[in-house]
Amino acid sequence: MSDTTPPRPFLSPERKAILRDYVPFIAITLVILLFWAISGDRFMSVRNWTFIAQQTPVLMLLAFAQLMIVTTGSIDISIGSSLAFSAFLGALGMLWLGDAGLVLGIFAGGLVGMANGLIISLLKIPSFVTTLAMLIIVRALVIIVSDGTAIYITDSSVTGGTNITSVAAPWLLSMGKFPAIFILAAIVAVLMWIFYERTAFGQQLKAVGGNEKVLRLVGINVTAFKVKVFAAAGLMVGLAACVNLARAGAATPQAGLMIELDAIAAVALGGTPLTGGYGSVVKTIIGALTLTIVRNGLTIAGVPPSWSQVALGVLMIAAIAISLNRSKIDVVK
Amino acid sequence: MEAGGSPPLLSVENVSMSFGGVQALRDGSFDLERGEVVAIVGGNGAGKSTLVKIVAGAHVPNSGRIAVNGVEVPRAEHSVSHMQARGIEIVYQDLALVPNMTAPYNLFLGRIPKKWGIFVDEAKMRQKTREVLSQLNVTTVQDLSQPISSMSGGQQQSIAIGRAIAWGSEIVILDEPTAALGPNETAEVERLVEDVRERHRTAFVLISHNLDQVRRLADRIVVTHHGVTSREFKRDEITSDRLVKAITLGE
Repeated sequence: MSDTTPPRPFLSPERKAILRDYVPFIAITLVILLFWAISGDRFMSVRNWTFIAQQTPVLMLLAFAQLMIVTTGSIDISIGSSLAFSAFLGALGMLWLGDAGLVLGIFAGGLVGMANGLIISLLKIPSFVTTLAMLIIVRALVIIVSDGTAIYITDSSVTGGTNITSVAAPWLLSMGKFPAIFILAAIVAVLMWIFYERTAFGQQLKAVGGNEKVLRLVGINVTAFKVKVFAAAGLMVGLAACVNLARAGAATPQAGLMIELDAIAAVALGGTPLTGGYGSVVKTIIGALTLTIVRNGLTIAGVPPSWSQVALGVLMIAAIAISLNRSKIDVVK
Repeated sequence: MEAGGSPPLLSVENVSMSFGGVQALRDGSFDLERGEVVAIVGGNGAGKSTLVKIVAGAHVPNSGRIAVNGVEVPRAEHSVSHMQARGIEIVYQDLALVPNMTAPYNLFLGRIPKKWGIFVDEAKMRQKTREVLSQLNVTTVQDLSQPISSMSGGQQQSIAIGRAIAWGSEIVILDEPTAALGPNETAEVERLVEDVRERHRTAFVLISHNLDQVRRLADRIVVTHHGVTSREFKRDEITSDRLVKAITLGE
């Protein structure tokens, strides 16, 4: 050690690491301040925040599903189709079995997830390819099963002279509105945090993402574990589909188109590396919220939808470039 | 088996193994006594790693016999968990650790203690980790909440060896334990092996390319050549030259 220590740069490596940890929180604060400055009370109103609180839960649940899978180092791009399929089966379940039939929707998501997991583990096809194929197949299945028409959730039984398929379930529609949907989302978020941070299953997600080979060497059945992970994520997608059904009031064959990309974006905005091994439930919630707020803020500010998409893409690249420590990465695939 | 004495702690007899028609190991044999260090040396592809992986239960041999304390291991029990239950642990060459996880998690890899069936019992893991680290006289690992990727290679190898001895195992296989380490860290790991062996009477099987290290640590040296365990030497009866000759020529 010399007596004359060189002047510390303002951003020492430790400070940078700490700062990086907070990028999602800084980003969301800046985004909120920015839109408040642009749109004033039209953005910062109770009415608008109620709307945001209704919009975020579906994306947040899908981001949770994606988080589980991304933590293991895989990816699931089939969740948009799975959402439409699950919502449809949920609605059909209610037609066939009454209100309780909605659980069919959750199980349908689990089934798609399990199919993904089995194909990936047993046929050893990379998750990207498998779930891309499932994205196409499941979407087609929805169109076949639905015959291209929607099932509507209504406040009261539609009487006479209509060929629209509908289910009367006012309780479900009220679940899709502000206090209920928000409370449900909060409960699921707490459970997800406990599951991800405190259970052995949650820790194993990170371990598989860190060094899958080692787990196999010590005798852990990683193949079976991965099937469980995809099935668990699928159940979460199924739950998201039911919430979306409540929110949208209909199961349509087009539901959830491209939403898999939003889910991945929310996870990435939450600072989770897509290479696996690390992740945070709290930051994923912040990521989903940021995405929703940016969409909402741009719409209020009168930015045309196409330009909104450009802005979202730029935001995503910026957030990931800042939040991940890329100085040690040589190979980028 | 020694006449009149107790059976050896570990006895490996004529194990053979081939991968897709390629014979990796033919009639591999060696014995190991309690508290003893046996080194297995040989050139690349001589079958050393195959031999120890069979002993650790990671490979099932095509033929041959493995006995622990004189009791033969049935074929159906040639698995990592069954070998662990018999007190055999292996520390792999490339530090078989999960880099993004903490030291306690790595120590408990595959054995995570649970509360209420699903939750990780972190308090128990931390306490046990501190015990093991103090048993090993490793004082440099303080912060147990950091991922082990933030530790030095020597510290990581201590954790890996700690994992092998933490569960009261009698036989620890070290597959190239210092190949990735610098001189200071190598010395640290060697001290650790000597220490554990003296205090716990743990037996070690050491694979190493470092012949000086082999002569420092091993009581006996088994040479493999072209998939056959060709010769066995006592530490005191062999010179470096003869050892090199045995490795390269199989003499």
